[in-house]
Formats: sequence, C-alpha cells, structure tokens
Amino acid sequence: MALIFTFLKKYRVAAGAALLMMLIELAVELSQPVLIAKIIDQGIREQNASVVWLWGGILVGSAVVAFIAGVLSSFFASHASQGFAFDLRDKLYDKVQSFSYEVFNRFAASSLITRLTGDVSQLQDTIFMSLRFMTRVPLVVLGSVLMALIVHVKLGLILALTLPVLIVFLSWVMKKASAMFRTVQNRLDGVNSVIQENLTGIRLIRVFVRMGHEIGRFAAFSGDLMRTTISALRLTETTMPFIMLIVNAGILLVLWFGRVEIAAGEATLGQMVAVINYALRTIGALSALSWIVVTFSRARASSQRISEVMAEQAEDQAAAVLKATGATNTAVNRTLQGKVEFDRVSFRYPGSDIPVLEDISFTVQPGQRVAIMGATGSGKSSLVALIPRLYEETGGVIRMDGIRNTELDMAALRRGIGYVPQEVLLFTGSVSDNITWGNEHATQEQIEQAAQAAQIHATVLGLPNGYDTKLGQRGVNLSGGQKQRLTIARALVRRPSILILDDSTSALDAVTEGQLLEALKKMSCTTFLITQKISSTASADLILLLDEGRLIGQGTHEELMAGSKLYRTIYESQTGEASPYVQSIT
Amino acid sequence: MFKALLEPFRHPRPVIELGAGKILGTGSGRKPKAKARDFAGTLKRIWSYLAKRKAKLYLVLLMVVFSSGLALLGPYLIGMAVDDYLEGAGGRSWGLFLLSLALVYLFFSLTSWLQNIWMIEIAQETIYRMRTDLFAHLHRLPISFFNRRQQGEIMSRLTNDIENVSSTLNSSAIQIFSSVLTLLGTVGVMLWLSPLLTLLTFIVVPLMALGMRWITRRTGPLFKERQRNLGDLNGYVEETLSGQRIIKAFSQEERVISGFRERNTRIMLTGYWAQAISGFIPKLMNGLNNLSFAIVAGVGGLLAIQGTVTVGVILVFVEYTRQFTRPLNDLANQWNTLLSAIAGAERVFEVMDEETEARDEGAAKSLASVEGAVRFNGVSFSYDGGADTLRDITFEAKPGEMIALVGPTGAGKTTLIGLLSRFYDPAQGSITLDGRDITSIRRESLRSQMAFVLQESFLFKGSIRDNIRYGRLDASNEEVERAARLANAHSFIMRIPGGYDRMLSADGSGISQGQKQLLAIARAILADPSMLVLDEATSSIDTVTEIKIQQGLQALMKGRTSFVIAHRLNTIRAADRILVLQAGRLMQQGSHEELLGQGGLYSELVQGRKQEEAGRV
Repeated sequence: MALIFTFLKKYRVAAGAALLMMLIELAVELSQPVLIAKIIDQGIREQNASVVWLWGGILVGSAVVAFIAGVLSSFFASHASQGFAFDLRDKLYDKVQSFSYEVFNRFAASSLITRLTGDVSQLQDTIFMSLRFMTRVPLVVLGSVLMALIVHVKLGLILALTLPVLIVFLSWVMKKASAMFRTVQNRLDGVNSVIQENLTGIRLIRVFVRMGHEIGRFAAFSGDLMRTTISALRLTETTMPFIMLIVNAGILLVLWFGRVEIAAGEATLGQMVAVINYALRTIGALSALSWIVVTFSRARASSQRISEVMAEQAEDQAAAVLKATGATNTAVNRTLQGKVEFDRVSFRYPGSDIPVLEDISFTVQPGQRVAIMGATGSGKSSLVALIPRLYEETGGVIRMDGIRNTELDMAALRRGIGYVPQEVLLFTGSVSDNITWGNEHATQEQIEQAAQAAQIHATVLGLPNGYDTKLGQRGVNLSGGQKQRLTIARALVRRPSILILDDSTSALDAVTEGQLLEALKKMSCTTFLITQKISSTASADLILLLDEGRLIGQGTHEELMAGSKLYRTIYESQTGEASPYVQSIT
Repeated sequence: MFKALLEPFRHPRPVIELGAGKILGTGSGRKPKAKARDFAGTLKRIWSYLAKRKAKLYLVLLMVVFSSGLALLGPYLIGMAVDDYLEGAGGRSWGLFLLSLALVYLFFSLTSWLQNIWMIEIAQETIYRMRTDLFAHLHRLPISFFNRRQQGEIMSRLTNDIENVSSTLNSSAIQIFSSVLTLLGTVGVMLWLSPLLTLLTFIVVPLMALGMRWITRRTGPLFKERQRNLGDLNGYVEETLSGQRIIKAFSQEERVISGFRERNTRIMLTGYWAQAISGFIPKLMNGLNNLSFAIVAGVGGLLAIQGTVTVGVILVFVEYTRQFTRPLNDLANQWNTLLSAIAGAERVFEVMDEETEARDEGAAKSLASVEGAVRFNGVSFSYDGGADTLRDITFEAKPGEMIALVGPTGAGKTTLIGLLSRFYDPAQGSITLDGRDITSIRRESLRSQMAFVLQESFLFKGSIRDNIRYGRLDASNEEVERAARLANAHSFIMRIPGGYDRMLSADGSGISQGQKQLLAIARAILADPSMLVLDEATSSIDTVTEIKIQQGLQALMKGRTSFVIAHRLNTIRAADRILVLQAGRLMQQGSHEELLGQGGLYSELVQGRKQEEAGRV
C-alpha cells in the first residue's frame, strides 16, 4: 500500500481538495438533523413560522452548497486518480522495458499484462472511490456520534457506546473476510484453469475417452469453489444484520432515556429526534461497508502484484547510466567487426541447476557463416541468445572482436546484431513499420534493399498498398514463409555485423532459401544459422554440432563427414536417394 | 498550490470521432455487451434451475416481504412514539411499545439475515449446477463446434458469463425485489400520511430524471471511447510484451515506451472526463436527497404549525425520503447488472442448446478387442454442407499394416482421420472395422481401441508422469518410464529438474515443442492400443531426434494398424501402403516402390523435390 502513497504524492493538492469538498458535503449532511431539531423545537413547538422559513431556507441553501462541492470533488478526485494511474502505468512499463530478458521471463507475459492493465485500473478505481466515498464511511460514523454528543450529551453517549462494539466486530470481520476471499479467488482460478485446459485439449480428451474423468475433476473443483464462496459470503452477509441490531438497540435506549429526560425537562423533543436521526445515518453509512472491504482487499492484492514488478532489478547499471546521461561510462562503444569467440562457455537458465550448455569453445572470423545443428533441446537457441546478451553466460568468456562482451556497451553491442528468432513476431502496423523495427532511421531505399535481400520485395509490391500495407495483429494476413522473410528483412535493415537466424528459414521453399543464402553472402556479415537441413550447412564455413549441451563436433562439411558419425547419419537420412520432404511441394 | 488546484480543469476534452473504432488493426476494443434477445425465455430457464430449490426460494421471498415490511414499520413506529408518547400523553404502556419496537428490529435483522444466507446457498448451488452442466455438455458437443468458435470466446462464456450470473443471483435478485417492495410500501404509507407532503417530495423525481439524462448522454460515448482506448492499450502491451525478445535484441525500448505513453495519455484523458462526469450521478442523487429533506422539513414544519401534520409525520417523512431515493438508486444500478447477467445467462444457454454428437444408436456395441482391419467404402464428407472435403475414398488396411497419408495441406488427411475416430460421420459410403460398420460401434469403445498423437501436442497442468499416464490412468510408474524410454523421452526428462515429477504448466512452458511431442508419443505408447494414429506427430521434432525415436515408433507400430500423416520421406517409405490425397480425392495408393513405378502424382512430388534439391546443393 506504500506504493499508492508514493505515486499519489504528486497529486496531493487535487486529492486534498477532493477530500475537502467531501468534508463540506459531510458537514452539510451532519448539520441536517440539528437543523431539523431547531425547526421542531423553535419553530413548530413555539408556533413560529418565520423560524421554519429561516431554517428551511438554510437547509435548501446548504443542499446547493453540498451539490456544488460534490461536483467539484468529482473533478479533483478524477484528476488525482487518473493522473495516478497514468504515472503508475508509465513507470511500470518503463520498468518492464528496463528488465533484462532473463528477469522479464520470470513473469509470464499474461501476468505482466494484467498487472499493467487490470491491477492499475483496480487501484485507480479504489483511489477515486476513496477520495469520494470510502473515507466518508468512518467520518460519517464518527461525525454522527460527535454531533449526537454535542446535541445532547447523555443521549449521544448511548450512541457512542455502540461504537467500540462495532469497531471490534468489524475489524474481526474484515480480517477474516479478506482471507476468505483470497481462498475464493484461488479456487476460482483453479476452476478456470481446468476449463482452459479442457478447451485446449478437447480433441485429446475425446480420443483418449477421458470425458468422465475430466467431468469428475471439474465437479470436484467447482464443488470446492461453491463451498468456500458460500462460507465467505455467509460471513459478510451476517455483518449488516448484526450492525443494525446493535445500532437499533441503541435507538431503543435513546427512546427510553429520552422520554425520561424530556419528562424531567433535561432534553427537548427536537434533540431526541436529532440523536435518533444520527443513529439512522450511521446505519446508512455502514451499509456500504462490506463492499468497501472487498474493494480494499482487492486493491491490496493489486498493489502487491505491482510492487513485485517494481522491486525487480533493471537490466544493468551501465545501461541505466547510459539512459540517464546519454553518455557511455567505461563501457566500450564501438562498431562491431563481427569476430565472435566462445571460450569454454557454459550456461544454465537462472534458477535451474541443469546445464544447458557446457564447455563450448569456437572462434568465428568476421564474415564467416556458421551453421548450428543438433537435436531438440540440445541448446542451439540458448547458444545464439548469448550473443546479443539476452542471457548471460554462467561460465567461460564470450569475446566480440577480442573484447569481452560484458565490457562492451550493451546498446552498441546489440546495434551491431541482427537477430531473427525462431518464433515469427510481427507488430501491428505497416510493412515498412515492421521493417524499421530493425532501424528506425532507415530510408525507403534501405528498407527496399533489405527486403530484396530477404526475398520479400516482390511479394510486398504485390500487396494492396505495397510497403504501406497494414498488418493485423501479429501479421495475420501473410503466409508463414512471408512473415519469416519479413522478420529477416527487419534484421537485415540494421546492416548488422552479426546476423543470427534461429531456424528462421524453415517455412521457405528450397529455391527461395537458396536465393536468400546467396544474398546474405553479399552482405558479408558474420552469420549464425540454426538449421535442420544439410543443404544449408553445406555452404557454411563452420558447422557446430551440438548434443545435449555439448559441442560434439565442429568443422566444415567435409571434415564432419569424415569425422562425425552422427553428422553422416543425418546426411544420409536427408540425401539418401530421395529428398527429405515430400509433402511441402504444393 | 493555486496552479495545482486549477490543473484538473485544464485537461482538453477528447474529441470523439464517429466510427473511430473501425480503423483496421487498431487493437481489439472490447465490443459492447450484447443485450439479451429472449429476455423472458432466459429468465424462465434461470428459474427452472432455481426451482430445484423451490421450497427454500419461497422461504427467501417470504423473508424479503417480511423484512421490507419491517423496514417500513421501524420509522413509522418512531414517528408514532414521538406523537403518542412524547408529544401527547401516551395511551397504552410505553414499555409495551418499546418491546414491540424491539421485536420489530429483532425480526428485521433476523429476516434480512435469513434471506441473504438462504439466497447465497441457493445461488451458489445453482451456479454449481449450471457450471457442471455446461462443462459436461461441452464434452458431448461435436468437434465441429470447437472448430467453428474461438477458444477465448467459449472460455469467456464458461467463466465471465457464469460469474456474472453468480454475483447477480447472490445479491441483485433479492435487492431488486426488496427495492420494488420498499418503494411501493414507502410511497403508499407516505400518501396515506400526507398526500401534500408526498407530492412535494416527488418534485425531485423529474429533476433526477433530467439530470441523469444530461449526464449519461455525455458519459456514454466517453465510456465507450475509454473502453476502446483500453482495448488498444491492452493490445499494444500484449504485442510488445510477447515481442520482447525482438525489442531487447534490437534495442527498441525507447520506441515502445513512447508508443505506450501515447496510448496511456489517451486513456488518461478519456478516463478523466468519463469518471469526472459520471461522478456527478451520486452527487446529484445526494443533492436532490438533501433538497427533498429540506422541503419536507421546511414545508412540513409550516404545515405542523397549522396543525395539518404532526411532528411524528415529519419524522417519518424525513426517514422515508432517505429510504425512498436509496432503492431508486439501487434499482437503477441493479437493473443494469441484471440485464448484463441475463445476457450472460443467455450466452451460457446458447452453448447448452448446441446439438450434441449424435447419440450412439441403440444397438451400438462395445468392442472387446479388435484385429484392426479397416475399410473405407466410397466415403465422401463435407463440413457443414460445403464443398466435399473428401470424395469417394475407398481403400483397405489389413491388420497390422502401416498406412501413410501424403498430400498437400488441405488435401483432407486430417479429416480422413477424423472420420476414422468418428469426430464426424461420412455423408456417403461407409467405414468398417473388422467388417463391422463403425457407426454401429459405441464412440467411446471405438476410440479406446486407438491411440492418437495429434498435430498440436497438448499437456495438462500437472507432473510429467501424470501427463504420460493420461494414456492409461492405472499404469504403474515403471510402465510410465518404459513408455518414456520407448519414445526417447526418458533422457530429457531425467535432465530437467524434478524429472518425472516436474510440474508442467498448462502452456507447457519450460519444455520445447519437440519435447512435448515426445511426451505425447510416450502417452500413446502407454495406452497400448490396437490401432495407432499419428497426425504429424513428429513435425516439430528435428531430424536428429527423429532418427533417435524412429526405432521406438517402429516398435510401437509393429502388429498394430497405424495411420500416419507425415512429411518426411523416411517415415513415408517405411509404410506398407501410401495414400496420396489431393483436393479430397485419393489419387494413388500403393507402396513407395509401386508408386514410383506407376509414375503420376507421387513420383512427380518426389522427383520435383529431388531436382530442387539438386539445383541448390
């Protein structure tokens, strides 16, 4: 919750004004019973119409004042809460973008999205409501009791006596209820994840005839949810009748003693009526309570989730300094030549003790092409992810142009690298928008050059608006192969010294792939090519053969044919007497 | 300080263009919820669910009537107390009066407590039944239902819509009923006590209506715009977060941060105005409430001086006017919730009304075991009466044979397998298993004879062991491991933390696509079926791994009739019979050598590919 106050500080004037306006409204409301008492005691009982006119007029006037204050408070509260949400979202997104890829992956993307949207909105609503209603509840209760005491001490005291009972009871309920609602939420998540799973796996469930099993599992989860929901709601629904019982008992006492006091001339009828009126207002205010409890427990959960993100470390100090001052620290900022050395590099994913890469050593000269082959899970993608420092190696040294990669400026390092990941990722926007993700200052000419090299230029010209054609979310209106080539163009437009293709030619047919590889040669950049096809490895200057995280062979095609049994098996399986793929010829 | 005070009023009003939501590719603004079409029908069906606890429900309604009545009686008795016992001499016993008031209060608390407790039980049991009914129904729906719809959409019916109904049943249902009762009762008693004062109280109602109209006219478009902006922002966040790898590798953080700020600002502006203006509503209610309070007090006071009304009546009115605007406000709020809940319930019932898979015919048999002789006799099939997806397919698979299906995407390979497993039934022709028409075999029984490795390998949330065991629920740990070894999954399982007990999340994160397929194969091996269906089971497995698991697959297929959809020639060549499909027709069938000898499509496919390869290497 400390988070809320930190971010709200900037809007303290507006928030204060909103609260002030609320206090004005409150004052008007709390003065009403007193004014009624005056009308009864000085007007009606004294048969004085002018007094009634006077206080009646004041009542109307104060109603108008309260309304104006209310409208103003709406503006102030809205400004404070929306401004708060804007700042929070902005900071949160900055923070997420400052994460290293490793830290970023600690959160599921979907959970980051909820934190950025749902959780922020939840806090914003809570602040808005707090500034306008919620802080009102305790104030109305306290104010009513206070006013009752002012109107008539003895009668007011009766009302005041109910207060400790209420406070003890309510704090117990709140504590208990928020714990119970957390359980309800967990159970609900459980039910929803079973549904999600069943929808995704519906075919599998059918063919393995596990419908009964799944329905039983679901009924168990739903049953749990039902039971916890019932017991949580039972508690909150008991609150209100109980509160009413207590306060109403107070009213009965006020009536009893009031009559005695009036008979003794110690109190007036108007005073007693006013005290009763205050008691009724207390009940009214408290009826919003169970709703407030729920809102606050949700807000607490939201702010916790947001704080978790805020507490994570930013990528590295050098990058942070660079961002702040625009100057490099001690980090070396230079254009890459493209020489890459792995010196006994090993790697394991953070939080895991299973080595993904072990003792990998090789050297690549600028402009060379490296093909990386290996079984699923052998560490190919992890190896190339170390080059742009998406992850940090856990052992050994990686050198670029002879300089240790940690001594290079992160931005400069990445500027020299064109990276095409396995998974095709395009962004909403036009074709050229997508290509300029690689280099935002690229001219149209450079964009087209990159597209030509990536063998996508002709396809783009065939689109309705050429390079300005919009792509839907994730580029739905292009085929898999076209999307792949677009991601390659995006990497090429950087004119990188090092190009990484992580199995990103899989959807290309043989002819196009051949042309692409030919075009890449002309760009004379160091190329890392993860591939399954012998046809692509044959032209490589260096082939790395990985198995279970170890480098089991490196060399040219000829060297490996002579020296590696596995490589020969792969070669034979693919080029035996026929081609490997029959189905893709369409 | 003064400047800061003016800040809120400096926000520019957003200009809302009509049809602004229609620009292509601007994220997915949430569509406004559809209104219920068949209001009465849906209500009736909800009632039929509730009616299972009819007796309790009537008790709840009775309690609502009581508590509403008692809520009216309380203030009235206080007014009476003032007039009869405090102002006047007081006829009957004061103690007795207080006792009856105490009883009114006690019973009021008791009845409102009981109505809530009981209603919650009814509501939650109802929701539980709806949820499990819907879920069980989903498992009876034909697969084509899931092809037609987006998963997220079905998901939202099962979760959001049901939750919506749930929360409405919990509170709104009772509240609406009691609001109406209280409103009627209040107005009735007020009219009876003093028609003139009642009329004066009602002066504020048209003001309220006017004010509400003024406000909602302005907030409606603002909220819609805000919702759209929110959708836009969600889309942007989703996209940039799932594309984080690119953004990091290309150092594009600044670019997305400024893109985000732009959208964030838009949300802030529309949100500010929407919230500020809609914030008038409670203030308006409050203000008018105060106004009627003043009117009642002022005019009532004057009338009291004339002696037309008593002080007690004024007191009753003062309390009633407060009680009268509250249900009005509640009603307005609850009405919207009710409408959206009914629309939600309708969406739930829509799914329940979907036709289930045709029931197995009465004479349908269960199978004890099968030989695995499959025959397709002139089978044709089309989805939803469209163009034929499969036309006149005839072939035979002898027990233990391996059949490979070859052909371009859309040729009908997966559909053919769907027919075999009775996801769909043929429009013409017949399919027999061991000479018996498969439509005369119970679906479940038929499917238990086959094991499937499907195109998209799916994992459940749970341990690796449980995921493999899904193939046969009573398999021992040793059997699970043996299956994993055969599928070549054992070594990678042993290398990840936790081994077989490693928990997988629903999206299977932490293991690769290829590893998922290995687990799926292990699952099929464990099921130990008479027949085997592999639908591109090795598509995401690289050549090296495929070489490694080839032996396991061969062992698995031995002695079992298997249908294999595959890309790679290695797999295809091993088949006893290759079916070459194109555009729903069976073009050729035979072994690899036979087909090559025949010439035609198959050898064209193979030859064409060879030439390409030759030109490249």
